[in-house]
This record gives sequence, structure tokens and C-alpha cells, in this order.
Amino acid sequence: MANLDRCLNIWDLRAAAQRRLPKGVFDFVDRATEDHIAVANNRSAFERIKLRHRALVDVSKRSVATTLFGKPASLPMAIAPTGAAGLCWHQGELELAKAAAKAQIPLTLSTASMTPMEKIAAVGGRLWFQLYVWKQRELSHQLIQRANRNGFEALIVTVDSPVSPNREYNTHNGFGLPFVPTVRFTLDIMRHPAWTTGVLMKYFGSQGFPKHENYPDEYKSSILSGAGSRDALRADSLAWEDIAKFRDMWPGVLMLKGVNRPDDAIKALSYGIDGIVVSNHGGRNMDSSAATLDVLPEIAEAVGDKMTLILDSGVRRGSDIVKALALGAKAVLTGRATLYGTAVGGEAGALKAINILKNEADKTMAYTGCRTVDEVSPDIFWGYREGNRLMGAA
Amino acid sequence: MSTLDRCLNVYDLRAAAKRRLPRAVFEFVDRGSEDGVAVANNRNSFERIKLRHRALVDVSGRTMNTTLFGKPVSMPMAIAPTGAAGLCWHEGELELAKAAAKARIPFTLATGAMTAMEKIAQEAGPSVGGRLWFQLYVWNRRELSYQLIERAHRAGFEALIVTVDTIVPPNREYNTHNGFVLPFTPNVTFTLDIMRHPVWFSQVLMKYFTTIGMPRNENYPDEYKRMSRDDPTTAQMVRQDSLNWEDIKIFRDKWPGILMIKGINRPDDALKAIEYGVDGIVVSNHGGRNMDSVVATIDVLPEIAEAVGDKLTVILDSGVRRGSDICKALALGAKAVLTGRATLYGTAVGGEAGAFKAINLIRNELDKTMAYTGCRTVDEVTTDIFFGGRQGNRLYERVMDEAAF
Repeated sequence: MANLDRCLNIWDLRAAAQRRLPKGVFDFVDRATEDHIAVANNRSAFERIKLRHRALVDVSKRSVATTLFGKPASLPMAIAPTGAAGLCWHQGELELAKAAAKAQIPLTLSTASMTPMEKIAAVGGRLWFQLYVWKQRELSHQLIQRANRNGFEALIVTVDSPVSPNREYNTHNGFGLPFVPTVRFTLDIMRHPAWTTGVLMKYFGSQGFPKHENYPDEYKSSILSGAGSRDALRADSLAWEDIAKFRDMWPGVLMLKGVNRPDDAIKALSYGIDGIVVSNHGGRNMDSSAATLDVLPEIAEAVGDKMTLILDSGVRRGSDIVKALALGAKAVLTGRATLYGTAVGGEAGALKAINILKNEADKTMAYTGCRTVDEVSPDIFWGYREGNRLMGAA
Repeated sequence: MSTLDRCLNVYDLRAAAKRRLPRAVFEFVDRGSEDGVAVANNRNSFERIKLRHRALVDVSGRTMNTTLFGKPVSMPMAIAPTGAAGLCWHEGELELAKAAAKARIPFTLATGAMTAMEKIAQEAGPSVGGRLWFQLYVWNRRELSYQLIERAHRAGFEALIVTVDTIVPPNREYNTHNGFVLPFTPNVTFTLDIMRHPVWFSQVLMKYFTTIGMPRNENYPDEYKRMSRDDPTTAQMVRQDSLNWEDIKIFRDKWPGILMIKGINRPDDALKAIEYGVDGIVVSNHGGRNMDSVVATIDVLPEIAEAVGDKLTVILDSGVRRGSDICKALALGAKAVLTGRATLYGTAVGGEAGAFKAINLIRNELDKTMAYTGCRTVDEVTTDIFFGGRQGNRLYERVMDEAAF
């Protein structure tokens, strides 16, 4: 735990996670796709925006709390769906869910998680479920019914992954999900004994190899074999008609994740969608994709007052949250940031990551004279309404 | 072949090629001219353009098939003319041409190739589904060039590409430092370099020595085939600084097939090309290998595409390394791209199989970019997929606005 105490920001957690995890697992979490242009550009877009101090506002009673879909959240943030939490820590999704519940922010469970949703539901807190739509649609329909029965309040349909991205580093590392034991990855594991005993051996000692616990039975085992799952996962036929069906079937909050265009956002509105996540999948899919913070203003202009906008991809500091709020988001999702924490200390590490971001958001609000999240507006920016001068020039 | 299996993108192929080739050969292929500014800028300009995912379009029936000059190709790409394929692999041009035929994309043979055009036509031509284009450096003695294109026509080449951006030989200083001269001429520096690459020496050079002898410019007139470019006679013969539009007029009269000009970078030149009856232009800065201050081709493409409309076929090259680059070029008005280095790296690593791999890597990336941006056919690829204005992306405009401050 001493390790965790020495981590003062997300970058520290990242460095500690890098030491702890096998390279195959760390790279899967940390890296993106192809030449890593999108992931770098996501960060640049945040860092380019400049804020100004507001002098002499009494901010002693400020609060970072907000409401999301009518219910309270202690911070305008939720945990993004990620597939590898269970490889960062034994039953990592569960740890992350506990941390989110404790921190009073929503957690999103991924379709590809290694913990069954029933077990996550037992933790309580606010739970969202992310859906990758399978080729056999009835399997997806069964899955969301299962999520509904388990009390998940929101469904997030990922729409930015029609094809699998070129994550070349996974192949070079001999790492793949489904998990394939290659020589290269085995050597990698052997170099990380703490992870092997603390994560992998715990799975072997209890349930055996980690599986996609929320997959239908016939695909669960394919986390090892891979056979059949590729075609089952084929998502390039996903279309708006599917969304119409999901809207009919899902009684709760329905979100689309991976919307980057104002026209798509307007269309989402017409399909009765409650919220969209402006996301480029953490820069992990299309390496040429625009930074989400750059596309946010025009999407907010198009639909901002009619649905809830959430932003992800690149959030590493509390100031990033404040910038996203100013440009029209109601909240952000964190994927890697909280996974690094999970990898370093399970629940405690994830909670630490959340609290680091909360603390930074709090300070940024104080510096800019914002007492509530509603007071965060482009007024805090240096430059034009839509952003700083650099953005405004466009 | 296991090396080839481990190559998952063009940069992997480049790294493998670098290990395999003598430094002088690798740098001849890989580097640009002078300070390498143009080469880097070509890449930056592609990478600056940002695209947006399109949500929820059924792209399961998507295709990259298109037509170039009325005939089908499996993707909007062709192989650029390059002079050193034959030094990347024994009879590298032939390997590359076979890979192109198999991939159903056109192959361009360079004037400076080390394989005779008749051999290319025979083994990788229309009889095996190949489409062959011939690139021409115009010689000072024009009648030799006329004879050359007649020969290309007889051999069944469907298109002639006249290179117009190499008015004078560029300053590729590294070649001199490396002791590298084309056609291949041995010297101490290069010999030491070769000795450090025994695989290349045995698999490439020795195969030439035991068959045809020293590799040479097989498409040159006999009296020049073996002559070094530094030889005063040859230097005079390859002098191109008198090339002008009157020559194009003559080529148009003489060449019955598709006529393209390679190295157009200005809208006024593009308009002039239409006037002279040219069928297509290649917007090219020679891979950044000639004028180091040259603008990126993807940056000049929009105004050229706007100027010529659909009056001629616009093709882009210089800097294509990823399938997404092709999407960006199509969106900005190109009908296709040429790849030079990308497919040469593949050739250097695995001959035909390596070249084929390079083509397929790029094809796969293009397919994914089309899927992400919601394009089912190449005709659907427009600037609508861009983040920002018609001319490019917002970032690009920002940079320009900043510069105007």
C-alpha cells in the first residue's frame, strides 16, 4: 500500500501500474491503435485550452457534486466500461465497482467484463451496462434483459466499433483477448511474479481461467479458443434500426457511446436516446479521429439542451473535467485513469484515482471562481466562447 | 518468412527492411533530399487531418473496389515507379509487379528499372490480370525517349506517366556519403556496407552476378545501360531541364493509351495539362525526394482537384503509409494514390510475398477507416468525414490562422 501512498496523480498511478502489470496487459490498457496519434491528440486538445483565474470570489462552500439523469453523483464523472479491469487486479471489475459506489459515482460494466453482472449488482451503487452488439441480435437482447433484471439503471450501446481496430502492439506482445497463452506472453508473465500470484493464480485457484462471464454460455469458453467468437462479435451491420429496438426493449436510461458528429447526435435525439458519450474510444479505434474535446462544442450546440452529454477519451486531470463541463458536457467517463488505480491497489487504488481527479477538479473550480458545477462555463476560458483563442480562430 | 509474419504495418516492414538492406540501399529508398524536411512534412500533413466516426451505418457490405481509367481495381491504389526495387530483392520489380497483379492494382515500371519491360509484361502483364503503367524520364536526345515509349506500347503497357518534377537531379547528399551510385557501381564505402549484410549480398547481388552480371538499367538504350549517371555522357543524356509543354504535345500525339503527368503541384499546371489532352495527373513531390522545401501533396490537392473537377483523373502520392491516408486523399479529390516506399519496404523483406503483404496491410487499414467513418463505397468518401471545414480539418485552419497573426 505504500506504493499507492506515493502516487499523487494519475501519471504516478500509471507508472506504478506499468511496473506491476505484464507488458502485454499494461500495453493493452495504456496504448491505443496504429501510430498513437489519436491518443496523443486527445491529450493535446485538453492541454491546449487555457483558463483564467477569477479573483476574489468566496469559494469556501464550493461543491463538485452534480446530478446525472436526475440522480446525485458526488462528482461529474462515471467509470467507463473497460474490458481488462479483471486482468489489472483479481476480480478488478468488482473492486472498481466498490470504489465507485463508495465514491458515489456511477460504474459502467463492460459486455466484455470478467465478472458476472449479478456479482457487480450485489455491490449496489449506480450501475450502467455497456453493450457491444453481437451479430446474433437475440443474444444481445437477452443480455440487456439480464442487465435490466439485475437493476442496471442505464444501457450504453457502443457505436464507434464497427470493425476491430489495428492494435498491433497486442500481437507483438503475444497478448490477445480472447486470452491466448503465447510463448512471448508467458515469458512476460514470468517477469511479473507479483501479478502472477496476486491476479492470475487467484483465478486459477478459484474459477480457473478468467472468462467473459456475461457472454452467452456457448461463447464464454471462447475467451480461450477464440473460435467462433470473432464472427459472433462482428458489429459492422449495427444500424439505427437496432437502436429503435433497444429503445423499445430497454425501460431505463439509454445512451450511445462513440458519437462524434452533430448530425448523428440529432439523429440520436429522434430515436429517443437519453444521453450520448462523445468518445473516440480513448483513441483506441480510429487513429485519425478528432479529439473529443474538439468535437464537443458543436455537438453541445446541436443537442446540448435536449440530452445529457458525457465526454471521454483522454481525461487524466481534474482540470480536464472542468474544461469538458465548460464546453457542454454534463460529466466525463474515466477509463485508463481509474484502471491504473485498480492495477496498483484494487478498490483502494481505484478510489485513490477517483479522489485525485476529484481534488484536482475542486482546485480548478476554486481557481476559476466556480462554486458549483453549473457555474463552470466558457467564461473561465482565455479566449472565445467555444474555447480559447486557438479554438475560436477555427 | 517468419519476419514477414511479424510485420503488422508498413513501419514494421520498414524496420525489417532496414535490418536486411545495406545502409546505402536502405537510405536510397527511405530518405528524401537535403534536410529531410519535405518527407516529414508529407507525413505531418496526413496526420494533422482528423476524421470522425459515423455512428450506426450498416457497413457490412462495404467495398474498396473502384475503377481507374474505366477499368476495375480492387482498391484505389497503384504502385509508384521506383528505381531501386531491383536492389531491394533479386528482380524486385518483377516481384512487385506480380504482387500488384495478384492484388489487382496497377503497377508502374520506372525508366530506371533493372528489369526489362518485356519481362514484366510477360510475367505480370494483362495475361495474368496485371495492369501495367510505364514511367518516363525524358532524355535529352528525345528520339531515344520516343523509341522507349514505342517499346512500352508494343509490350502492352496501358498508360504512360511522364515525370515532370525532376528538372534537375536533387541533392541527395546521403547517397554520396554512402558511396551509392545508380546504376550500381562498386566502391570501398559501399563494399564495406555490403559485407555487413551477407544475406542481402548472397540473396540479391550474387544472384545478379551469377546470371546477368552487374544489375543495370535494362530499359535504357544499349549504349547507356551500364553507364554511371556520373559519367559525363550519361549526365548529358539524362539532362531534363529543357523538358516543356511542347514535349507533352508530342507525347500526346505519339502515345495512344492513357497519358499521365507525374509531379503536378499547381492548379494552373493542372489546367494546362487538360489543355494538352492529358488523361491524368499525379499530384506528387516525388516522395519529398527532390525539392526539400516542397509543400505536402495532401495540402495542395484540394485546390488542384477543384480546378480540374472531373476533367481528368487526379492521383496522389508522397507519404502514404497508412490506409487512412488513402481515405484522406480520396476525400480531398484524388481518385487513387501511388505507393513507393511502402511497397518497396515489403519487397525488401519478402519479394512478392512482402510486397503483397504491404498492399494488404494498407488495404486492411483503408477498409477499417471506411468502416469507422461510415463509408460503404469509395464514392462515399468525402470531406464530410473530416472534423472541420471542407478544405481540411479545424486544426489545419487553426495553424493557418495562427500563422496569420
